[in-house]
Formats: sequence, structure tokens, C-alpha cells
Amino acid sequence: MQLFVQQVVLGLLIGGVYVAVAIGFSLVWGILNIVNLAHGALVIVGAYLTWLLFARARIDPFAALPIVAVALFAFGYALQRALINRVIRAPLFFTLLLTFGVNLVIVNALLVIFKSDFRSVTPSYSGSGFGVAGVQVPYIRLGALGVAVAVAAGVGGLLNRTRTGAAIQAVGADREAARLVGIDLRHVYALTFAVAAACAGVAGGLITTIQAITPTAGEPYTLQAFVVVVLGGLGRVGATVVGGLVFGLVETLGQTMVPGLGAGWANAIAFAILVLVLIVRPQGLMGRVA
Amino acid sequence: MTALLSIQGVTKRFGGVAALNEVSFDVGEGEILGVIGPNGAGKTTLLNCVSGVYRPDAGSITFDGHSIAGEPPHRIARLGVGRTFQVVKPFASMTARENAAVGALFGASQLALSRAFAAADEVLEMVGMAGKASLPVASLTIPDRKRLEVARALATRPRLLLLDEVMAGLNPVEVDEALEMVRTVHRSGVTIVLIEHVMRVVVGVCRRVVVLHFGQTLAEGTPDGVLRDARVIEAYLGEKYARRLVGG
Amino acid sequence: MPPPSSETILVERPRLLDRRRLRRLLVLLLVLGAVLVLLAPLTATDQADSLGAPQLVDRSQIRILTTVAMFVVMASAWNLVGGLTGYSSFGNVAFFGLGAYTCAVAVDAHRLHLPMAAAIALAPLVPAAFAALVGLPLLRLRGHYFAIATLGTAVAVGEVVKNVDYLGGATGLFPPILHRADLLFLYLMVGAALLAVLVSRLILRSRFGYGLIAIRENEEAAGVIGVNTTMYKVGAFAVAAALTGLAGGLFALWNSFINQELGFSLDFNIQMILMAVLGGAGTLFGPVLGAIVLELLIQNLAGRSDVAVYAQIGLGLLLAVTVIFVPRGIVAFFGGGSRLSVAHLRRSLRETGV
Repeated sequence: MQLFVQQVVLGLLIGGVYVAVAIGFSLVWGILNIVNLAHGALVIVGAYLTWLLFARARIDPFAALPIVAVALFAFGYALQRALINRVIRAPLFFTLLLTFGVNLVIVNALLVIFKSDFRSVTPSYSGSGFGVAGVQVPYIRLGALGVAVAVAAGVGGLLNRTRTGAAIQAVGADREAARLVGIDLRHVYALTFAVAAACAGVAGGLITTIQAITPTAGEPYTLQAFVVVVLGGLGRVGATVVGGLVFGLVETLGQTMVPGLGAGWANAIAFAILVLVLIVRPQGLMGRVA
Repeated sequence: MTALLSIQGVTKRFGGVAALNEVSFDVGEGEILGVIGPNGAGKTTLLNCVSGVYRPDAGSITFDGHSIAGEPPHRIARLGVGRTFQVVKPFASMTARENAAVGALFGASQLALSRAFAAADEVLEMVGMAGKASLPVASLTIPDRKRLEVARALATRPRLLLLDEVMAGLNPVEVDEALEMVRTVHRSGVTIVLIEHVMRVVVGVCRRVVVLHFGQTLAEGTPDGVLRDARVIEAYLGEKYARRLVGG
Repeated sequence: MPPPSSETILVERPRLLDRRRLRRLLVLLLVLGAVLVLLAPLTATDQADSLGAPQLVDRSQIRILTTVAMFVVMASAWNLVGGLTGYSSFGNVAFFGLGAYTCAVAVDAHRLHLPMAAAIALAPLVPAAFAALVGLPLLRLRGHYFAIATLGTAVAVGEVVKNVDYLGGATGLFPPILHRADLLFLYLMVGAALLAVLVSRLILRSRFGYGLIAIRENEEAAGVIGVNTTMYKVGAFAVAAALTGLAGGLFALWNSFINQELGFSLDFNIQMILMAVLGGAGTLFGPVLGAIVLELLIQNLAGRSDVAVYAQIGLGLLLAVTVIFVPRGIVAFFGGGSRLSVAHLRRSLRETGV
């Protein structure tokens, strides 16, 4: 029983990271109607940035997160404004192709710069944690969950309590109407993507503390984000949080219950479930009918 | 007169709202029947149920002896029911002729490809678009796109044509031309059900009218009779005007 | 009869090289060129040697031609579903892998041990059956959901295959190596390419093709005018699967090796889409053109392994450029009307941009 509880706790904690990854993805999809196949790449860029700051400047990964957020924000803004804005009204799969291309460029650029060696970030407190009722709670994972929840709350607050957030939601609801009331579409689109990129970057920073990174390590995160968002329903922060936590839970429990289940299997099963859910309920598990 | 289309007790709900509630009426062969009612009355929902886009929750729809409620749209089209959409849905990358030809390939027409284009030219002529057959859809004006919508539906050789607010957005001159087109189509032997807001059209071309309100049949009869009905006036204009107009 | 005005009246004089004649000449030259290219490899046979004919083509060039032909098949097949019907599948490589594994299992001495011809005949059938089965639920999805669901299906099938021993497990399968396999499979693959183009042409000029295009343009309207959208979509999906599976089967036999990584390669997946889009999705020759252009490009970069990473970057940039500047594909430049011009590009950008 204790082992089960331990696994549940670990699953929830890792779920936090998935939440952080999925928030940005959901934002871009919900508002810009873009499935960003380069999302995982943005996560990994954030991861490498965090690693660089840790390895070269001895900055604690959690302290580096704001820096990474700002850097990815700027990068995301530029990317959207320069490239993705140009195909936003094109048929959907063009944006898929474009983001796939961006993904290729980013991942391979990272390969050129950093090679494919695995890097990791190990601050002094990694591996230690505290015990609660016989269950071990690692500091790092708890911190990661905390940051993830903060990010989700931050994005939710931005969307619901600020003028900018209102503009973003307006654009997502009806772009023509938004334009008519004077919202600068190009800027808001870029802003939305920038926020999403910042979230991705932060998620990447969290990931470096939990696993070793390599340029191609971002790919599974894109697919996972997709699964989380679809299962939770598009564009709702609360649903994404639940989705991410559930995913983390299921993955951790699955791996303990069926030993030898490689990472590939988890994704494959997730996809099978996803396809089945989509067929039965095209709006996702918690989404509203469009 | 045998009923070509018979709608009996059709009910359609969305969530908790009954868009259609026990709607029943018949359409005789060769008629032009008008369906009117304020916005939200359920007219388009009714059309969607007949053409197979929606499946009614209750009731039956019989066309030419076949039960069509809940059947997929293509099967209903095969039997001879054609329809247009309120917001036109042309095949944007094709020319007018190709749009019509696709209609001729399917529906109740099922022509071979070699004959479809000739049939397309015929229907385009009937709706008054003879010279514009090779134009791409993007260069067509709104009235022409509406004509094309009708042409494409006609090309499927329907026995019953459902027109959804074909006059919407047309100026008075265009309305007259569209009216003429409806008459021409009717003369060629097609039974027509016309959803309309423009009363001039309803009065001008329909022999019988059904009034829907909040998903229910409110009145049925000749255009004049129905438009004088106090309940109909109340539905459209409110109680105050109803009393005033009927003399109260 | 009024006197001629000061404006010169243009008379259509038959010119020696007017547009139609020019186009016909171009097509003739292309066909001639293609025939020469296809016959040239025969100079590498033993019979040619004994006749004293000079060898015009070497091994690696034959290999490149075969790969180009393979992608012509895959891009044309993808075009049926993605270009004509408007359902952009991101998982057609699943059919490639299924066809490859079907063939490999069929010829394997320890498994089905069938003759090669039978194996090749089976290669399209298994993917087509799979497509019909999976297509029914999948094709009810639209847009992004369909794209990612197909991607997920391809990933999932690949994972399953990797874990089944009968299918070679993680190691893969090793079909036997044949004598003069390179020439044999060049012509087989070219044959498959011709078949793919022929099938595409037949479809484009048939009621089926018009129905598919109608579905792409407006599925709801297509339904009410009488197109059985479900059957048509699944049909296109199955045909595409069959063709892609054929390419996969031939690949497995030609390569004498197939495993999950090769058979369900996401690289192949994105390449076939890019080729169809770059060449012109929805047209007949677009995918062919795109396959030839892109594959030749890739082959010339792929040889040097140190450049592989840069090749990927190039591919990514090409994707971006294609999607932004040439969304309707190269073929649009040769068709009627549109011309390669800055104005045209600017217009196309305005149509798709914010």
C-alpha cells in the first residue's frame, strides 16, 4: 500500500511537469488554432539554456527559470511575428508543416551546437527530500510541481484578469470581431505564442532537474502535450492541469505495474487511448462541444 | 393530392431546448409551400431534419413512400430531395459549370461523367447563369452564388427542392430575378419548399404557407389568411401590434 | 463598314512557337528524357557488357533513381487523401511499414515462405485492409485531430511491430538478397510509380475524383448532393494505403532489411507530405515533380554523413519556405494563369497571413 501511495505521489509530481509543458501548447492551440509541432523543441531550448546557466554561471536551476522565461518569450515572439503569422489563415496542415520545419531546424541546430551527448543539471539538493507518513517526497519534484502550478495560475490570471488576457481571449473567440474593436492581431498573436514559449522554456528548465537532456528529448513532450490537451479539452487551464496530473499518474503507475514497459510503449498506449477517446467524444474528455 | 413529403410529429432537441416540437404537415406533389416564422423558429432545423443533416429525436418523415428520418444525407439525395443552404456552400476551387456537374454526377441524377457537363449547362441556363459557366466561384457575385447553389441542387434531379432563405441579402431587383428563377424551376416540375423571410416572395409564389414559432406549427393556410392570423402577427411583431392591426 | 480606327486590330497569327506548341514540345522532351534515363541503367547489365556498350549509369545512381520512384508512389498516394480529399494524413508511413513487413514476412523462409511475386501482390492488400478498418473511425475526425490521430496511429503501429517476435522484434527481418537486385527493383519501383500516376489520373477524371474534391471543398454540401462521404473517404484512404504499401513492400525486398525504424520512419512520413505539397497538392503531376526535385536534393546531401544534420536543417527551412511562399506548389507556376512573379508571391502571402 505504501508503495502505491509513493508511486501516486511521484506520479502527481511528474504530472506537474507535464502540466507546465501542456499549458503553453494548449494556449497556442486554443487561441491561434495552431498545433505547434515545435513545442517540444522550445522545451528543450529552455532546458539547454538552464543547463548552460548552471554549468557555466553556477546559477541554480530554479533561480534560472525567470531568465529562461524571458529569453524564450522573446524568441517565441520573434518566431510568431516573423514566420507563423504568415500562414495563420492557410489550411491547418500548412501550420503543422511549418511548425514541423521549425522543429527540425531548432533540434538540429541544437545538435550542431551541443552534440548529442546527454547533459544533466544536478544541484546540491537533488536526490534529497523529506518524508511524510513513510512516503518520500523529493525536493526537486515538489519544487517542479510548485512551479508548474504557479505557471498555470499565472497564465490563468493573465487570461482572466488582465486587459492583455482579454485581448488574447477575444482574438481566440473571433478574430474579425477582435480586429474590428481595434486589437492588433499580429501583436496579440505574437504575444500569445511568446507566453506559450515562455511556459515551454520554464517546463524545460524543470525537466533538466529530473532527467538528462539531449536535443531530441523534446519530441515525446510534444506528443504528450497533445494527448493531455485533447483529453482535457482545449483552451481550459483547469482541464489542462487535471490532464497533466492524470497523465503523470497513469504513466508512473503503469511503469511500476508492468515492469519492462519502455517509454515507447507508454506513448503508444496513450495514443491508442487518445484515438479511441477522440472517436467517441471528439471534444475531448472535458471539453465543450464546439 | 398525394403528399410527396409527409412530416409527422417531428421533434428535435439540442441540449434541453426543443428546436422542433411535434411538427407535422404535408407537402403535395407540385406545390410551392412556404415555411415562415420568426428567427429561431426552427425552420432551418426542420430543413436539416428532412435533408438528413440532423436526425430527429422523434417523429417520422416520409418522402415518396420512403421513410427518411435519420437516414444519411446522401441516401436522401439519391431518393430525390435537393436543398440549398442559407449561407451558400459552393465548391470554391471549381468553376460554376463544375459545381453544377458534380450535382449531376450524384443525387438522384447519377449521370456518367461524359454527360454531366451538358446537364450542368442545362441547369445553369435554367437559373439564368448561362454565360457564366466557366467562371470560378470566387468571381461570382452573391446573387450568382445563390443561383449556383440552386443550380447544383437542381442538377441532382430532385423531385423536391428545399430552398433555405434564398432571398436573404438580395436587393429588390435581385429578389424579382430570383423569384422568376423559382417560378421557372417550379414549372419544370419540381416541388418546392421555400423558407423565407421576404413576405413579398411568399405571397407572390406560394399557394400554401406553414408558420413555425418556437419549434411548433403555429398556423397553416393561404399566405393571405396566415398573415392576417392574430397569432402570427403576435409572433412576429408582438402582442401590441397584433391587437392594433387586427383591430383591438 | 466603318473604316478601321487608329487602334491596331490584333490578328491572331499562327506563330511557330505559341504557348500550346511550346508546352507540347516540353512534354515530349520530358518524356524522351525520362525514357532515356530509364533505359540507361540497362547498360550496366552483363549482356550490355558483352556487347561492349559503355556503362552509362553506376550503382549509386540506380539506387537514387529507385528511391525517387519510390517517393513518387508515396507522394502520389498521399495526394489522394491529403490533396484531393483534403484530409491531411500525418501517418501514411504506417501503410509503408505494414506493406514492408507484409512482404518481408511473406518471403521469409521461416515464416510464410511465399514466392516473391506473391509477396509483392500481398504488400498492398494488408495496408488497404488496415486503412479500411482504421479509416472508418479516424476519418470522422477533422483538421488537426485527424492529422495527429493518424500520426499517433503510425507511431503506435510501429511500437507494436517492434515488440512482436514473428515480425522480427527489435532486430527486424532480412529478406534474401537477389542477383542484380538493383536493376530488378529499379524497374519494379518505376512500374509502381507509373501505376501510382495512372491510378491518380483515373481517379482525377472520374466521378470518384470529383466526389473526393467535393468532400474537400465542402463536406456538408457534398453529402446533401448525394456523395456517400464515408465510403468515398475510406475508399481514397484504402487506395492510398495500397499504393504506399506496395512501395513499402518493394522497399523491404530491395533493401533486404526492414525494421521498425526504417519501416515507420517519421522522416519518410514528412518527406512524402512535403513532396506532394511542394509539387502541388491536389494536382496530378505535383507529387511527381515534388518527389523528383526533393529526393534528388536529399540524395545529394545525404551521402555525406557529417552533413546529415545540416541536411535536416535545410529540410526544415525548405518546409518553412514552401509553406509560406509556395503553398500551392511548383506546379501552380506551370498551370494556366499564375506566373512566377513577386506579385504572385505577395498575393499568396496576403491570402494566408494575418
